[in-house]
Amino acid sequence: MTRGWEVAGLEEIVGPRSRHGFDWHPVRRHFEISSFGANANAAREAGDVVVDEHDEAHGDGGQEELYVVLRGRALFVVDGEEVEAPAGTFVFLRDPAVRRGATALEPGTVVFAVGGRPGQAFVPSSWEHARFAVELSERGDNEGAVRVMEEALAERPDHAGVLYDLACFEALAGRRDAALEHLRRSIELDPQYRDYARDDEDFAPVRDDPEFQALVAT
Amino acid sequence: MSKPYEVLSLDNLARIPVDEGLEWRPIRRRLGIRSFGTNAYTSERVGGWVVEEHVEGTGHEELYVVVSGRARFTLDGEELDAPAGTVVFLPEREHRRPLLLGHGLSPHVVLTLGGWPDKPFEPSAWEWYFEASEEGPERAMEIIRDGIAELGERPWLVYELARHEARAGLVDEARAHLRQAVEGEPRAAERARADEHLAELLP
Repeated sequence: MTRGWEVAGLEEIVGPRSRHGFDWHPVRRHFEISSFGANANAAREAGDVVVDEHDEAHGDGGQEELYVVLRGRALFVVDGEEVEAPAGTFVFLRDPAVRRGATALEPGTVVFAVGGRPGQAFVPSSWEHARFAVELSERGDNEGAVRVMEEALAERPDHAGVLYDLACFEALAGRRDAALEHLRRSIELDPQYRDYARDDEDFAPVRDDPEFQALVAT
Repeated sequence: MSKPYEVLSLDNLARIPVDEGLEWRPIRRRLGIRSFGTNAYTSERVGGWVVEEHVEGTGHEELYVVVSGRARFTLDGEELDAPAGTVVFLPEREHRRPLLLGHGLSPHVVLTLGGWPDKPFEPSAWEWYFEASEEGPERAMEIIRDGIAELGERPWLVYELARHEARAGLVDEARAHLRQAVEGEPRAAERARADEHLAELLP
């Protein structure tokens, strides 16, 4: 009989190391939490990024976020203001448009992040898939990266960012037709992806293809 | 206009005694979070409760994070030693919900998070009961009325309003609200029978 709870230490919840330089502990994904987003980011050294600079108005958009410093000390920069945050500090961002980011001031700093969209049932953010896909791609497994993004697309079939990321990994995997079709659909949904694709190295394998050239032409 | 962001430390959070040493440190209400539930719990003494004994019956999934110190969770009788950094998840998909209880084994903080899969978050009515619990009757009635204004006339909120009205000597109002609460939630009658302020107001 399945027990009605699951338990793990943060160190047992292991995800890819973020390209921003922190160890990512994908708590939501580990437990398959389906009502809010939850992740922990751990810095190895002082000076490491522990929350990548971003806002929540772009991408999936609209999230309010709560950051809790679990260990160590972090320097948040929120809306251009610096906030020193020792363990036990809560930083809540109700406005998705506010830029936010943090660096560790001590080795071993851990920041726990929680998010959701007011008035909406929770949907996992597409970047969770993309982060796993990037790790696979960096290890040379572009087919694996495509599979991860296909899972993301099944959850969000009309998400321009997911379609774009899928197209990137398909291009790298040598799947020319699928890459161009998904890129075309992404640009239809959000024309900014035309500009991104023009200089994106992931499309190097199809860069000289006339169909790609036509898609990215202004 | 509310600030686009807010920063606070655990020391800035109210400390509301609940039961068996448990102290509720309200985060969601303090910050006005609208997309998930979150609170911290501390205990006034080592060995005191850090999670009250309860079974979730609302389809709510819950995540507990031991932020500092060490706690011991009891889940359906199974004991779990939980040092800082331990994460315990109780999913909604498990229809058999465990009986959960937590004790603090050292000075500690437990962070809780919760929400409903597939539907937007709504605050739980108990946030208002807990906040009103240590107040005098006039202030307690104000707090419960705020809860009713935000969540509507949920039976357990109306029950709490009746209880604080009874404490304030507003017998007619208390009797009417108790009747309304019992109509909406028959279990309220059983609770009222054991309440020193409400028992005599039951029909």
